[in-house]
Amino acid sequence: MANTKHVVVAIAVSCLFASAPASSQTATSSRTRTQVETLASDKFEGRLTGSPGEKLAADYIISELKRIGAKPLPGMTDFRMPFTFTAGSKDGGTTLTVTKDAGGAQTFTGAATVQALSFSDTVEATGRVVFAGYGLVVPEAQNFGYDSYAGLEVKDKIVVVFRYFPEDADQKTRAILARYADLRYKAQAARQRGAKGMIVITGPNSPNAGTVVPMSFDTAIAGSGIAAASVSGEAFAPIMAAAGKSLDAVQKEFDSGNPHVAGFAIPGITVTLKANVIRQQQTGNNVVAYLPATTPLTGVVKPWVAVGAHYDHLGRGTTGGSLAGKEEANAIHHGADDNASGTATTLAIAEAFSTQPRKRNLLVAFWSGEELGLLGSAAFVAKPPVPLDALAGYLNFDMVGRVADNKLTVQATGTSAMWPKLLEQANIAAGFDLVLQEDPYQPTDVGSFNTASVACLTFFTGAHQEYHKPSDTADKINYEDLVRVGELASGVIKRLMDSPEAPLFTKVEQKTETGGRAGLRLFTGTIPDYASDVKGLLLGGVIGGGPAELAGLAKGDVVIEIAGQSITNIYDYTFALELLKIGQPAKVIYMRGTEKRETSLTPAARK
Amino acid sequence: MPDVLTKRVIAAVSLCSAAVFLWAAVPVATQAPTGERTFLSRVRRLTVEGKRAGEGYWAPDGKRLVFQSERDPANPFYQIFVLDFATGDTKRVSPGMGKTTCAFFRPGSDEIMFGSTHLDPKSLQYQKDELDFRASGKERRYAWDYDPEMDIFAYSEKTGAMKQLTTAKGYDAEGGYSPDGQWIVFSSMRDAYNRTLSPAEQKQLALDASFFAEVYIMKADGTEQKRLTDWAGYDGGTFFTKDGRIVWRHFEENGLIANVWTMKPDGTDKKQITDFAAMSWAPYEHPSGEYFVFASNKLGFENFEVFMVDKAGTKEPVQITYTPGFDGLPVPSPDGTQMAFTSARAGGPGSAGQIYLAQWNHEAAMAALKAAGPRQTPKR
Repeated sequence: MANTKHVVVAIAVSCLFASAPASSQTATSSRTRTQVETLASDKFEGRLTGSPGEKLAADYIISELKRIGAKPLPGMTDFRMPFTFTAGSKDGGTTLTVTKDAGGAQTFTGAATVQALSFSDTVEATGRVVFAGYGLVVPEAQNFGYDSYAGLEVKDKIVVVFRYFPEDADQKTRAILARYADLRYKAQAARQRGAKGMIVITGPNSPNAGTVVPMSFDTAIAGSGIAAASVSGEAFAPIMAAAGKSLDAVQKEFDSGNPHVAGFAIPGITVTLKANVIRQQQTGNNVVAYLPATTPLTGVVKPWVAVGAHYDHLGRGTTGGSLAGKEEANAIHHGADDNASGTATTLAIAEAFSTQPRKRNLLVAFWSGEELGLLGSAAFVAKPPVPLDALAGYLNFDMVGRVADNKLTVQATGTSAMWPKLLEQANIAAGFDLVLQEDPYQPTDVGSFNTASVACLTFFTGAHQEYHKPSDTADKINYEDLVRVGELASGVIKRLMDSPEAPLFTKVEQKTETGGRAGLRLFTGTIPDYASDVKGLLLGGVIGGGPAELAGLAKGDVVIEIAGQSITNIYDYTFALELLKIGQPAKVIYMRGTEKRETSLTPAARK
Repeated sequence: MPDVLTKRVIAAVSLCSAAVFLWAAVPVATQAPTGERTFLSRVRRLTVEGKRAGEGYWAPDGKRLVFQSERDPANPFYQIFVLDFATGDTKRVSPGMGKTTCAFFRPGSDEIMFGSTHLDPKSLQYQKDELDFRASGKERRYAWDYDPEMDIFAYSEKTGAMKQLTTAKGYDAEGGYSPDGQWIVFSSMRDAYNRTLSPAEQKQLALDASFFAEVYIMKADGTEQKRLTDWAGYDGGTFFTKDGRIVWRHFEENGLIANVWTMKPDGTDKKQITDFAAMSWAPYEHPSGEYFVFASNKLGFENFEVFMVDKAGTKEPVQITYTPGFDGLPVPSPDGTQMAFTSARAGGPGSAGQIYLAQWNHEAAMAALKAAGPRQTPKR
């Protein structure tokens, strides 16, 4: 940020001398600026995958590729590579009917009363009812011994389970159970035991008591083989009446976490669950081009080098992922940094190499569907138009327009032992204060290539306050340094192209899997700094008025312990969050500069 | 950045529906540089490869840097590399075997001097032992071991020949050439091996050989070796100054407190320049001849920062870096506009220490030194 004034001056100067013989840096900077401004303009409406804005953006990128002289991939006539995806799901009128053996039936419908879970099949299931507690099964390999179905016969039955995990269990138990509390996992456990349907009730002692589970946007949808829905307290009342117990009392028993508290069959009723989920299929478009080698290396097994960036963003933020405040809800999310910056950098690299001798083919890719879960790049590596083992390497750019204080983070460096040397050589000219992270399991398209065993890198200039908000606009981009990111990458690519030797892919072991999403129901108001590799959790900021701010935490603090759990990275932090209870103060130890401090943070409920 | 991250982490910790953010309105651009940015700007990382790198010293023309780095998978010890700023390429100039340290370009020559143990027949075994130790998953605290087989060599870039300049048993290293390239000042522990030690001294040698290190001078061809210091405690990190003196750091007998000193090349007129009651070391003169930059752990035992002090040491030193952890081994460029230094600031792979380069604000340095108060005497 300290560079802002300097950058503004530099841009003003470059405009003044636009007609004078400008340096290539200035020319590139001006072109890059135009590209970012165009992609992030209102006209492209936030470039939501499958939307008219995405199509306009693809058209613009293609016109730039044609100007540069790039071609569709060998054997293809179009730059567009379409892929289909599930754009969302909604309830199509799910109903629940409770029929008494003694006669009489009640039917419930309406989204606030009974709503399918987003992964439910559209199917009708009728059967007797079994209450299976929290519906949790800890795999035997965990050596923990917790199975909500122990001693229960649920074949062809409808199971009833509580949402979340036992509220009053000790920390260790909660930590383990939280990992298996995802509703998708619970549905899988029920189906594997032969249940035809699963009904979820949010217990009176849990957050969001008595309400239905929101239909989350889940692009990884595949039929779960079961009818699954959540119901309100009202719709659940006749089932509890048949059980002859109060829901409150039943939950209290299960809340202890004692594995010996058994579920029970509910007599006297049959339940029919008609689950109806409407899934919307849409088409997104990757844009892929290449610059053929001018003097190909002979006899190399990997004659390609690939660069890429996603060009899609969140549209108006209505389908998930938006961090917009209430006052800017439904506004266009411009995505200038995320990821018009990477798109323009990829174009700049292609443009630079279009006029240079090339010993390898340069594949130039623009992914869509990234914000929905790396859909475009995943579709590409699933059906690669160029054999993936012909790629010497893949370089990815995602959020590279906010260089501050000359810092640049390069991630996935662990995918080849050759990357540090190549980065060292290229950075002598580019001159960044580089931070390397070996971990390739990053939430950007580099993940698709790592999974496909391609040596890869991704460049990142850090999270910021405008992340996933409408205010991520083109005027906040540091163009001068953005061009330099492309120059650093071009230095790496040039060396990759010229050397007969290609980086050898190294598999990096994934760090301990993060906890289940059940832990994410509480709100701490911290904004982690993802670009940091400090030991502990560096706070990039705190939400005004949130629990973290109330606890006195501030930007720059490094959290090293929460509720007795030591924190060395973001994974530890997510895991520790699962152990916290809403409304219950937790001890937080953190570093402010060199001073070790302690405070108490009281998590709030997340809606 | 996609939604995956959001779902898993960000939403959990930062989702907020009604908060109003005002950060964007803060006019940070108008702030004067603070902390490190007062003196250092455009900080960039020069070395990336390998576990650690350090001690970057400039070629007299400022176009290259010689440094030590652990980057050969087969050798867990430092070797010497030369970085060419024009091409970005590095090449190894040391034998590749054994340990090396403290390289220095000889002015007006194609020679590069450094300390090396490659003639020790056991050096390959030491490499293997260390690699095995690391493979076992253990970590030891980084410590320099003052290998008694370390001798000073001059490597010819033209012929690739290695000329041995010292032969004495005991660590010989930490050398610097005089500005005319005719002399070498260095540190040697030969005093622990060239005579019969008293029982107390033998105990001291087993505990910490560096206690016996003294400053020596010799001609660039290794002749006329002469001892310049004769007192308890480690003397080393020796360099010539523009006005023909020697600057080095002297440890007190306890091995914990060190300070920057200067003397004439004949060993007379010794002057103490710093007095922090901390470990102040690695002094190097700015080419203006006005001040020394050095590293000190004054602010925390493991928190080394770069400081500077006026040449006569009459004033209190001025702090330059502010990053927690290691910042040290500062070396200004020959034209005085840049500074190379070693820092552990990056974290992540190679975080044990890498070489950085920054623009150096000499005017700000002069102003800060002028404004500094008189040198304080620390409480002991």
